[in-house]
Amino acid sequence: MSERKLYSTITFLVIASFLLIGFSSVAMAQERDKLKAGFIYVGPVEDYGYSKAHDVGREHVEEVFPWLETFYVENVAPSDVESTIDQFVNNRDADVIFTTSYGHMDPTISAAKKYEDTIFFHCSGYKRRKNVGTYFSGLYQTYYLSGLMAGALTETNKLGYVGAFPTPEVKRHINAFAIGIHEVNPDATLHVRWLNAWVDPSGAKEATQALIEEGADGFAYTEDSPAVLQTAEENGAFSFAHYNPMYRFAEEGTLSGQVSKWGAIYQDILYKVYYGVYTNENLNDVDYWWLLKEDAAALQAKPGMKINPKYEDDLKSVTVQDPHFGEINVYDLVMKRLEQMNADRVTFDPFIGPMEDRNGIQRLKDGEWATHDQLWQIQWAYPNVKGPWSGEPEE
Amino acid sequence: MEEWIVGTLSRTLAYATPLLLATLGEIYSERSGVLNLGVEGMMILGAVSAFATAFITGNPWLGMLIAGIAGGVASLLHGFVSITLRANQVVSGLALTMLGLGLSGLFGRGFEGEPLGSTIPNVSVPILKEIPYLGEILFVNQSPIVYIALALTPVMSFILFNTSAGITIRSVGENPSAADSAGINVWLVRYLCVSVGGVLAGVAGGYLSIAYRPAWTTGMTNGMGWLVIALTIFASWNPSRGLLGALLFGALMHLSFRLQPWVAPELLKMMPYGSAILALVILSFGTLKRSMGAPNALQQPYIRGEK
Repeated sequence: MSERKLYSTITFLVIASFLLIGFSSVAMAQERDKLKAGFIYVGPVEDYGYSKAHDVGREHVEEVFPWLETFYVENVAPSDVESTIDQFVNNRDADVIFTTSYGHMDPTISAAKKYEDTIFFHCSGYKRRKNVGTYFSGLYQTYYLSGLMAGALTETNKLGYVGAFPTPEVKRHINAFAIGIHEVNPDATLHVRWLNAWVDPSGAKEATQALIEEGADGFAYTEDSPAVLQTAEENGAFSFAHYNPMYRFAEEGTLSGQVSKWGAIYQDILYKVYYGVYTNENLNDVDYWWLLKEDAAALQAKPGMKINPKYEDDLKSVTVQDPHFGEINVYDLVMKRLEQMNADRVTFDPFIGPMEDRNGIQRLKDGEWATHDQLWQIQWAYPNVKGPWSGEPEE
Repeated sequence: MEEWIVGTLSRTLAYATPLLLATLGEIYSERSGVLNLGVEGMMILGAVSAFATAFITGNPWLGMLIAGIAGGVASLLHGFVSITLRANQVVSGLALTMLGLGLSGLFGRGFEGEPLGSTIPNVSVPILKEIPYLGEILFVNQSPIVYIALALTPVMSFILFNTSAGITIRSVGENPSAADSAGINVWLVRYLCVSVGGVLAGVAGGYLSIAYRPAWTTGMTNGMGWLVIALTIFASWNPSRGLLGALLFGALMHLSFRLQPWVAPELLKMMPYGSAILALVILSFGTLKRSMGAPNALQQPYIRGEK
C-alpha cells in the first residue's frame, strides 16, 4: 500500500467516524427531545384509592403531551425511594421524577442533592430545594360540600367518619365535612373512628359497622378502598366516594364524592418543565396547592355525575336560611357553593371566621380566611366532632 | 345497653368466622405434629382464587370450593418440604406466607378494584330469629358461612377426641415412632392433617373476599393468619376452645372501634396483635409449651428409625 493511499484511507476513516458520531448525536438529540418523567407510588396502582388517582393523572399527561414518556414503580416504601430514584436516573434517563407520598419526602431531598441535574416534585410534603418542588390537590372544599348534603339527609342526626391516621390532612377533611354538616343542620354530630392505617378494608368495614350500631346513617372516610361505601350501602346508609369515583361499587349508597384530579397539576408542571420555565435551579418556591378552581379536585360520584340523582329530590326538599342567598334548598346551595369556589375569584371558603374549636378556643377571627399554612397544619377539631382526636391542641 | 351488647356480639360472629375456620384447620395440622406458619399465605391465596372464580363464573359457592382447593394445594407444598424433605417447619411456613402474599398480589392485579356482582349474601333465619337476644345475635343478617364454621367446631372436636381417627392423629403428633410401630402411616396422616389446615385456611380467605367484604385488595388478610397461629396456642390445640378464642378476638376487633371514644385507638389496635406476640413467646419456651398441652412432636420431622 502506498503512503498516499494509506493517508487517504486514514483520512476517510477519520471523516467517517466523525460523521458517525455526528449522526448518532443527532439521533441522541432527537431522543433527548422526549421528556422522560418517572412516577413513584407508595401503594399498588390497582388499589382503587390514592395511588390509582395519581396513575390516572400520569395516563392523562401521557395522552396530552406527545413529547412525553412516562414510567412508574408502585409499592415503593420510603426506604426504597432512593434506590428507585437511582434506577430512574441512571438506567432510564429520567428528567423529572415525581414522588407521591408524604413518607417519600426525606429520601427525595437527599436524592435531589445527589442528582443536581434532575428535577424532582414531591407530593404532600413541605421540604423544597432548588431542584425539588412540591404539589398537592386539596379536597377539603369538596368535603365541605359533602357535609352540606350529609347534614341535610341524616335522619338520626348522627354521621360517621372513618379516618386513616390523625394527620393534618385527614383532620382538615373531617373539619370541612363537619362545617358543612353544621351549616345545614346544627343539631347533627359527626362521630370519628380511627383505623391507624391507610389501607385496611376489614378495619374500615368493622369501624363502619360500629358507627352504624351507634346510630350513624351517613358516612365519609379517608381509606383507600371502597369498604366504607359498600358497608354503608349494605346497611341502607349513604356515603361519599373518596379519591376516585367509586359509584360502581355502591350505586345506591354513593351520594356523591371527593375526587382528586392530579392530571391537572401534572400537566401544568410538565408543560413548564418542557418549555424551560422550571429548571433544576429555580424550584425553591414552587409549591402547588391546587383546589376546585384549578380543576385539581372535583365533586363527583362518577364522571359526569356530581350528585347521585336518586338523592336529588330529597336534597331539594330540605331548605335552609342563608345570609347571602336567603331561603335556599340544599341541592341549590351545594351548586352555588361549588360555583363560588370554582370561580376565577373565589368568593367562598369553608374555613372563614369566626370559628372556634370544640374546646371553645377561637381559631379564626370574624371574617378571617384560613391561610394555606393554617390549613396545612390544622390540628384542632370543629365543635360538632365527637370521638378521639390525638394531638388535639390545648391552646 | 342490651342493644349495645347484642350488636357487638352479632358483629363478633362475623369477624370471628374466618379466624375460627383457619384455627380449626391449624389445630389439626399441629395436632399431627406439623406447625404451619403459612396460614396468612394460604388464606390470601384462598381469598384471591375465590374472588377470581366468583368474578369469572358468577358462582360464589364455586369460588369457595376453589378457595379451599387453592389453600389445600398451597399447604401440600409446606407438607412436601417439611414432611417429606424434613426441612425446618418454621422456615418453610414463613416461606409459604411470603409466597402466598406475592402470588396473590400478582394474580390479583386484574381483579383489584372490580366490584363483585355475585356474592354470598347474608341471611336471616325465619322463626329462629324470633328467639329473644340469641335470635338477633345468631340469626339476623349473618353469612351462611358463619353457620358452617359453627357447625364444624363440635364435629372436628368430636373426631379429634372421640374417634379412632382422632387418636391416630394425636398419637402421630405426640409420638410418631410409637405410632409408626403400631402400623400407622405417619407421613400420610401428617399430609392429610396439613391439607385439612390448608383447605380451611383457603375457605376462611374466600369468606373474606366474597362474603365478609366482597372485593379483592392486595394483602387484604392484613395479619389475620398470624392471629390464627396465636389462637391455636390460646386454644391449647382444642377446637372448642378455638371457638371461644375466635369469638374473643372477633369481639376485640369490633370493640377496638366501639370503645374508641373512651380508650386510645392506638392502644385498642394493639390488643389482638399484642396477644398474638404473647402467644408466640409462649410457643418458643419449651417447658411452657408442654404445660399448655402442645403436641410432643410439634415441629419435629419424623425420621423412621431415629429416636
